Parts: sequence; C-alpha cells; structure tokens
Amino acid sequence: MIDRKWIGYTSTPSKVTIDRWRVKLFCQAIGETDALYWDEAAARVAGHAACPVPPTFLKAIEADHMPAADLLGLLGVPLLSVLHAEQSFDYLAPVHVGDEIEITREVTDIYEKRGGALEFVVVEALFRRGAVTVCESRQTIVVRRDRAAAR
Amino acid sequence: MSAPACPERIEFDCGPVQAIDLALYAAASGDHNPLHLDAEVARAAGFDKPVVHGMYTMACVGRVFTQRFGVRALRSLSARFTGVAKLGDRIVIEATLAGIDAGIATYALRAHSTAGTELVTGSARVVLAR
Repeated sequence: MIDRKWIGYTSTPSKVTIDRWRVKLFCQAIGETDALYWDEAAARVAGHAACPVPPTFLKAIEADHMPAADLLGLLGVPLLSVLHAEQSFDYLAPVHVGDEIEITREVTDIYEKRGGALEFVVVEALFRRGAVTVCESRQTIVVRRDRAAAR
Repeated sequence: MSAPACPERIEFDCGPVQAIDLALYAAASGDHNPLHLDAEVARAAGFDKPVVHGMYTMACVGRVFTQRFGVRALRSLSARFTGVAKLGDRIVIEATLAGIDAGIATYALRAHSTAGTELVTGSARVVLAR
C-alpha cells in the first residue's frame, strides 16, 4: 500500500524550454504532418506568433520536469505495475516553441478500490510562463497490486 | 456571416501504430516504460503485445480537434483510459457534439481500437470561430 503521507507532496518547480526539434519528433511519432508546429514561416502564415505545440505535448515536458519513474520511485511503486487511468488538460493560454515553462507536480489524492487490488494516485501539474498559468493538468495513475507484488 | 463549422459528429482514425511510432513517442515524450517497447516485458505484465501509450491515443484525439478547429481553439481535453490499444492496432476516434454554450462547443469523445477494445471516453471543449 502506498503511504498516504505522499498526499500533498509537491515537486520543486523547474523550468523547461520548449525545443523545436523535440516538438517535430513528437509530431512525427503521432502522425501530425502540419509543419506549423515546427516551421516558423508556416506558423506565421497560419496566424501564429511562433510555432504552437500540439495539445498533449505538455505531458512530455512534464516528464522532463519529473519523470514518472522518479515520482513512482518516491511512492515505492514499480513502473511496470501502473497504467494511465485518466488525463485532463485545461488550456488557459497558447504555448509556443521557445517558451520557457515552469512546471510543478503535486500528488493531490491516493485512494484504493476493490479492497486494495487497485490503488489510484492523482497528480496535478501546473504550467506557467512567467506569471501566467498556461495550462493545468490532472492525471490519475492506477497501480495494479498483483503486478506490484509480483516484482 | 455563415454559421460556424461545428459538425455534429467527427470521425478520425490513426495508425496502425507500429513499433517505430512507439519508439519515437517514447523518445519524444520521455515515457520510456518498456511495456510500450518490449514484447517480453509486455507479456510479463500480462499483455500479449506491447501496449500503446495512453498519451499516444490522447495525442491522436488532440489531432481531431486541432485539424478541425485550429490549435488555439482547444480549451480543455479530458480522457479516461478504459482499455489499451496494442502494437499494430488502428485507433478510431468519434467525437459527438454535446452542446454549445457562449461560443464554446463541448464534444463527447470515444475511441476504440480496430481490435474491438474501447480505449477512451472523454470530452473536449473548443472555442468556435466568430
């Protein structure tokens, strides 16, 4: 069982600069072919000040800030016992290539279902550019106890 | 002005998801969990094939809206991962208009794999062009 003392754990904020090549690689992985995400000229033609990032790309820089493996290590949860149960993003301001984004993650809840066979960890993340919050996200990770015990 | 392009139903499909896509996604996303990359690790974890990252499926869901409405229109995106897609599956996404309020359209989402597994239920909110 995960120690409930981790509810309220907040990571030390750190900054990640959004890299064009990384965005391009992300687009290539997901089959996104619109060059506006990595080509400045194409972005301007489409009316953007700079290349925007795909909506779920923020999850990638969240991992730069604090990889899932590190967070789970802290909680004492084996990486192979987890699945992603839920994810949501609220987009408050556009994010572009070259932006420096400050990220914090917070464990906001830990609970169990099916008599402890499944445990759930809720992690919220805050993305800020300077004083502006550009995105808030919320993730639920499910821990399969049978798999956690097997390792 | 003409009515905003806000279809009742949008269908979109991605894939088939190949090993190279999962490897690229692992590199780009920083999620290097071998469950997505290594068939033996996947088997040991109880899956017959490597599992597609939930966030990979959600990225495909994001494309449904960025393609149709532009990347700035998206206000929120939320997904409940109800099942897993596996290596080689295609991901089929259906978005259904649930309502429009104050220039913001809400869509209900569903995704399933061509293997017949439901992958995602969720919702998205997009600002309509004025």
